[in-house]
Amino acid sequence: MTTPPKIRDLAHRLVACEAVATKTTEPRKSATLRVYEKLRDGLSEFAGVAGFESIASRALALARTEAPSLDAVRVSSDGELHGLERDLGEIEHPIDIDKDRAGESQAGEGEIILIARILGLLLLFLGEAIVLSLLRVTWPGAAFDDRNSENGRNE
Amino acid sequence: MSTQDKVTIHQLPTGVPGLDEIVGGGLPEFSFNIIAGAPGSGKTTLAHQFVFANATPERPALYFTVLGESTIKMLRYQQQYTFFDPAKLPDSIRFLNLSQVVLEKDLGAVLEEITKEVEKANPAVVVVDSFRTMVRKPQSDMDLQSFIQRLALFLASWQATTFLIGEYAEEELRDNPIFTVADGLFWLRQTAERNSIVRKLQIIKLRGQDSVPGLHTFRITDAGVQAFSRTFGLSGHAKNPPSHRRLSFGIAELDKMLGGGVREGDSVLVAGSSGTGKSVLATQFIAEGIRQGEPGIVAVFEERPQAYAERAASLGLDLETPQKDGKLTILYLRPLDLSVDETMHSILDAVQKIGAKRLVIDSLAGFEMALSPGFRADFRESLYRMIFALTGIGVTILSTVEVDESFTEFPFSTYSISFLTDDIVRLRYVSIDGQLRKIMVVIKMRGGNHAKDIREYEITSKGVVILGKRLTNYQGLISGIPVRSDRPDSTAEPSLDTGIEHKP
Repeated sequence: MTTPPKIRDLAHRLVACEAVATKTTEPRKSATLRVYEKLRDGLSEFAGVAGFESIASRALALARTEAPSLDAVRVSSDGELHGLERDLGEIEHPIDIDKDRAGESQAGEGEIILIARILGLLLLFLGEAIVLSLLRVTWPGAAFDDRNSENGRNE
Repeated sequence: MSTQDKVTIHQLPTGVPGLDEIVGGGLPEFSFNIIAGAPGSGKTTLAHQFVFANATPERPALYFTVLGESTIKMLRYQQQYTFFDPAKLPDSIRFLNLSQVVLEKDLGAVLEEITKEVEKANPAVVVVDSFRTMVRKPQSDMDLQSFIQRLALFLASWQATTFLIGEYAEEELRDNPIFTVADGLFWLRQTAERNSIVRKLQIIKLRGQDSVPGLHTFRITDAGVQAFSRTFGLSGHAKNPPSHRRLSFGIAELDKMLGGGVREGDSVLVAGSSGTGKSVLATQFIAEGIRQGEPGIVAVFEERPQAYAERAASLGLDLETPQKDGKLTILYLRPLDLSVDETMHSILDAVQKIGAKRLVIDSLAGFEMALSPGFRADFRESLYRMIFALTGIGVTILSTVEVDESFTEFPFSTYSISFLTDDIVRLRYVSIDGQLRKIMVVIKMRGGNHAKDIREYEITSKGVVILGKRLTNYQGLISGIPVRSDRPDSTAEPSLDTGIEHKP
C-alpha cells in the first residue's frame, strides 16, 4: 500500500519549509534529513527516544516497500538515521512540490516517502488534530490546513 | 489572629463530575497530590481531566511521562474521551517524556530535568505519570526521601498543583515517604464482584479542607471518570423544615386511613405480595401529585417506561402528557451493575431538573437486583442514606416492596427496612368465603394518627378502590385465613377484579 497523497503532500511541504530556510546550521544535510531530525527532536521530547525510534523503524520498514533505495538506511537505537546522507550538491536544490511529484530522483523520493510514513503513523496513532499541533511547534510558519493540500491548493 | 488574616486556599475544579463535592469544593491550589491505584483503575484519565480543566496558555500543564506510559498510546486512547480537547495541545498542555533520563541517570538528574522544564514553562499543573516507575530503581531511603521532598518543595514554590500517579499497594501506605509528603492522596480501587466490576475512590488524605470520608463509587464512561459522592451531592443543601402538609393518594378512603394523606417529606413503604396492587397504588400516588401540580419521578427497574405508562393508561391515568410537559420523569435504570450512588445521581438529576416533589421507587427488589452484586451487601445502608438525603430536601418517597405471603406471619418487608420508613401500608390476600380477596391496613405513620381499620379493596379499571367499611365480621384477617365472627358484616359483597393486568 502506497502513502496516501495527502500525507505525502504534507511531507513535501515540511521538506519545502526546510529547503527555503537557506541559513541552516547543518549545511551538509539535506532538507529531508533536517525534517527527520526535527521530527526526531520534537517527538523524542514528547514520546521519548524509544518512542520515536520505534515509530521511525516501523516507518522505514513501510517506506522500503515503496522505495527500495532505502534498503541501506538504518535507524539506530537513539533514533538517528544512517545511510541517507548524500553530497550537498546533489540534493540541496530548491524543492518544487509539483516538479518533485512529476519525477524526483529515486533517492529523493525515498526520503520523502520515509517522512510521509512517519507522519502517516503519527496520524494513525494520534489523529490529525494532535499531529498538526505538534508540527506547528516545530514549523510555526508553515500552513498545514487543507486549503494548501494537494487537492485544495490555491493555484 | 482573625479569620481575615488567614491565608485563602483557592480551589481548582477537578474536572471530574462529582469529585469537587467529594474533595470539599475543589482541589487546593499548589497542593502536591498522589493518585494511587491498580492498573486500569482510571488514574491517568482522572489526571487528564484535571489537566484539561485547568491548563491555559498563560499557565499551562506539564505532563511528564516516564517508563511504562507510552505517550503516543496514552494520547491515542485519552483523546477518545469527550473532555479531551486537542486544541489545548501544545500551548496549554505539553507532554514531555523523561524515560531517557530516568533510565540513564539518577534522581538528581531527574529533578534537574523537571526543574528546567518547570522554570521554562511556568506551569499551573504538573503531572508525573508514572511516578512509581521513576523511583523504581534501587535508591537509598535517604535519596528517595530527599528527592520527594525537594520535588514537592520546588513544585509548590513554583505555584504548581501537582499530581504524581503511581501503582501502589495499600500495604505501602505506612512506609512509603511519598505518602507522608503528599498533601492529597486519592486512592482508586477496582474489584471484580461476581460478573461485575466495582470501582471505588477514597480520599485518604487532603490537607487544608474537609473531604467527604469513605468510599465513593465511580464510573469510567466516554466522558471520563465520574464520581458519585456518598452524600449524593447534598451535603451543602439546606434541609427543608418539617412540613405539615398532607399529600393525597387520589383515593379518598385511603387518605382518610392515613389521617388526611401522607405527610410531605415522608418515606412510605407499600408492602404486599405479587399482584396485590403495589404498583397500581404507586402510580395513583404519582398521578395525583401531578394533578395537584407536584412534579414526580418514577424509578422503575423491572419494566421499560413505555410499558409503565401504558399500564397506567389502562387504569385511566395519563402519564404520557405530563412526561411531555416536563412534570413527570420515568427513569429506567439499566440493570445489573449499578451502585446506589449512581442510581441516586440519576434520580437527583431528575428531581432537580423538574423540581419533583414525589418519588416512586418501584420496586426495592428490582432496585436491589439492578445493583452490582458487590453493592447488594450494603443495600440497607445505602437505602438509608438515599432516603435520608431525599426526604431531607422535601421529596416524598413511596417505595414498593414485595413480601412473601405467609399464612402464619405478617411481615412488612423482606429487607427489614421498616425502620427506614415513616409510613407503612400493607396489602395482602385473604381467603374469605371461597374467594381470594384483598385487604389493606396502615401499619405505621410516624408523626401522625392513622386508622386502625382493615379495609377490603379491589383493583378496578379506575385503580385501587377501597370497598365499604372496615371488615368487622371476621377475626384473624391478617393471618390471611380469617374466621367469621357473629358480628354483622358491614361490607358489600366484593366483585371480582376487572382483570387489569398488573405487575406480578
